[in-house]
Amino acid sequence: MKVSEDFIGSLRTIIESVPTNATSCKEFLADLDRIRMEWNVTKTGALGLKYWRFFPGFVSEEEAAVIRADRPSTKEGSRMDWLSENLQLIQERYADQWIAVGDHEIIASAPTLPELLTLIVDIDKPLVTFISAEPVEWEHAYGI
Amino acid sequence: MPMVSKDFEQVIKFRQALHSGTLIRLPIVEVSIIAPSGKKRNIPLLFDTGASTTMLSAKLYSLLELQSWNQGTPCNITNASPVLAQGYQYQASMEIFGKVIACPVILLQLPHNPLYQGLLGRNTIFDEFGFGFWERTQDLYITANP
Repeated sequence: MKVSEDFIGSLRTIIESVPTNATSCKEFLADLDRIRMEWNVTKTGALGLKYWRFFPGFVSEEEAAVIRADRPSTKEGSRMDWLSENLQLIQERYADQWIAVGDHEIIASAPTLPELLTLIVDIDKPLVTFISAEPVEWEHAYGI
Repeated sequence: MPMVSKDFEQVIKFRQALHSGTLIRLPIVEVSIIAPSGKKRNIPLLFDTGASTTMLSAKLYSLLELQSWNQGTPCNITNASPVLAQGYQYQASMEIFGKVIACPVILLQLPHNPLYQGLLGRNTIFDEFGFGFWERTQDLYITANP
């Protein structure tokens, strides 16, 4: 991964501080516009700033995938990542089964949920889901 | 000058799955269902701002330590027009993004999907959090201190 020192330096400057010579609210807002930081003044006079800024081209999509894969958001997130990444194989092997997912493995399976629960009774917060043999429906909407 | 701060402690990446050659990306979160006995089991739910109440697959009734899925308060589940399905409402405890919340849930017959066993809806739950939804970067940002 090649990122120039200048580019990193620019990022660091932007992230650590926002230099401004503004002497009025109007000038300050103009400075925010200049650095493309989104803002909103509420009816009560508060200033809202959107913190997240995105810098396109920081790394390639391939490098982004590596970085994101190395930094799962939570322990639970890594189990979901593993499940979604291996879904096709899991569907082939565990069709019409309830499964309990551990760290990068299926720790138990059973044809019914009550049966599965008896197999994982001592495991804290197992991730439980049902693998249907029927085609997956991806789009639907509900409300009450 | 006081500023409104909206920052987030957690980031959840969208999950992706291959469907008929197309990569589908969805905001799926893991939630702990807390049974009356205190047992905690996690299930994946689709983060759904359009769902007024959290809805779970009827098949999950034993996670709530119920004898059947249809013993709660009946309610009609609809989409844009006609009545679509019959659901049954219960009060449940769930641990979501580190907080334990008592909230209504509805059990109903949902289409099968291994990546989510229901929809995480607004009722009670959304009051406890702030969310930032970045479709373009495929990230869901969460704060437990809205």
